Amino acid sequence: MNEQLIHSKITSMEIDVLRAVKQRTLEKFTEGPSVERARLFFLLLPYFDGKHWSGEIEASAKTVSIVYAALHAHDQVKENASATKKQQLTVLAGDFYSGIYYQMLANLNNITMIQRLATAIIKVSEKKASFHDGLDRTTAELDRSVQQIETELLATFYNFYGFDHYTPLATLMLSYIRYKDELECLQGGSETRIIRSLNETLQHPLHTERWLLEKLDNLHDQISLTINSYNFNYDLKNFMLHQITPHQHRAEQLTREG
Amino acid sequence: MEKVKLKLLYSDLKPELDMIEKELEQAVDSESLLLNDASLHLLQAGGKRIRPVFVLLAGKFGNYNIDVMKQVAVPLELIHMASLVHDDVIDDSETRRGKPTVKAEWNNSVAMYTGDFILARALEYISEIDSPKLHHILSKTMIEVCRGEIIQIEDKYKLDQNLRDYLRRIKRKTALLISSSCELGALVSGTDEKTAAHLRRFGYFIGMSFQIIDDILDFTSTDEELGKPAGSDFIQGNITLPILCARKNPEVYSLLKNNLGKELTEPERLHIVKTVRDSTAIDEAKAISERYLQKALEELAYLPKGNANKTMRKIAFFIGKRKF
Repeated sequence: MNEQLIHSKITSMEIDVLRAVKQRTLEKFTEGPSVERARLFFLLLPYFDGKHWSGEIEASAKTVSIVYAALHAHDQVKENASATKKQQLTVLAGDFYSGIYYQMLANLNNITMIQRLATAIIKVSEKKASFHDGLDRTTAELDRSVQQIETELLATFYNFYGFDHYTPLATLMLSYIRYKDELECLQGGSETRIIRSLNETLQHPLHTERWLLEKLDNLHDQISLTINSYNFNYDLKNFMLHQITPHQHRAEQLTREG
Repeated sequence: MEKVKLKLLYSDLKPELDMIEKELEQAVDSESLLLNDASLHLLQAGGKRIRPVFVLLAGKFGNYNIDVMKQVAVPLELIHMASLVHDDVIDDSETRRGKPTVKAEWNNSVAMYTGDFILARALEYISEIDSPKLHHILSKTMIEVCRGEIIQIEDKYKLDQNLRDYLRRIKRKTALLISSSCELGALVSGTDEKTAAHLRRFGYFIGMSFQIIDDILDFTSTDEELGKPAGSDFIQGNITLPILCARKNPEVYSLLKNNLGKELTEPERLHIVKTVRDSTAIDEAKAISERYLQKALEELAYLPKGNANKTMRKIAFFIGKRKF
């Protein structure tokens, strides 16, 4: 499958997901559902890799994407802000998307998947809460939490349909994307919960920046190694390395910055 | 006191409700101390547990097995709890039942994760039941409840909305979950379809009456009884039935219109509350609630006589006459 076909399949799935959660007021007053293409790519990875893929599996993949959108909406609720109309509707957007994914799985009579995803949401919520509990954590513990937040739902989907062998690679790549976003936030002067926790552990934003740069280099090296252990075709491998996790090595970045 | 009185009406169910209370505590057990504390904080604030009560009572019309009934009763209460913790973020509420809300005690983010966690627990729990029909009903209800809340935000500060808008809103916001509690209780206890339909309608009518009374109490109760300032609905721009009835008087209409969405001083708030309370609006709203109550009682007349029927009747009368 070439690059264009991969893009086209992801777009088609994105349109389906957006259609499933469409709601006029939410569309007007909130940022709308976040359906990240990288996540859609990983949900579709078994299909791109030529594995058995049915309508039911694709429908389940869409519901996982909707769960991500639901949880992401709730991540957008400001920690201490008062209730603006946008904030109020963002809370409801998350709840509405949760109802939709539940209904979609109920319509598929996939009750087991409802249960598995619920268990995954519990784990993700627990890990997200761990960034608010004020307990001291090592960077390794924070890293494990980030990994689980990013991949628990996807890993549940893979496990349910027997695609577990993609989990290690997806964990590396989704963690990479998350840390890249965090680095951009840090360099752009904004603070996220993860950055705040890293700052608390590492005691200085500069140390956090260095830790993130090294982490990205490490993850990239691991991705390059891991990806070769799969039997992906050239186009798919290329797509993953250059479209999903394009990397600028720390050394290159430092040289460019002068 | 009133809460105690309501509980007396279903004291026959006390052993089962105690069991459900314990299950609720276990259900919110989490490896995250923070989520555990926040969920227990919410749980221990108490509540009427009216949804589990209706599940259990509906189950009495079929093959009642508490182990099966609690599989529905517990998640329905959890779904209600999850919506409360998120509602407090939506309404920016500092207190609930006289205790600080999760968002006030911790922050909005913790409230969001707590709600997501409790809702997921509910789904984890209820998906033990392999009944597609049950999941269709419940998922549809959850979506409609959200739609109701979205519409409520859309309709805020719109004094010129009509009665139908209000009724449709409270149907989704409150009546549907009570109606589903009755219907699902009937479903899992294996009642016949006719009985299940009467129970579903009973729940719907009682839910409508319950919400109208709640909206009336927002004007007729004291701040202490409510645990929040009287007239909070108006302050937040929610146009409830007493307001819709009161606005028919042109003078009251002007008063409401001029103050809607304004930051009210204490005397202004008290004046508005008194004006609505002293108008005919409260009696008119009560009359509408009474009509729903009568319809609920009519549904009960179709159901087999017995203790469950009697208790439902008593609860219906209580809801119609509750003071706060």
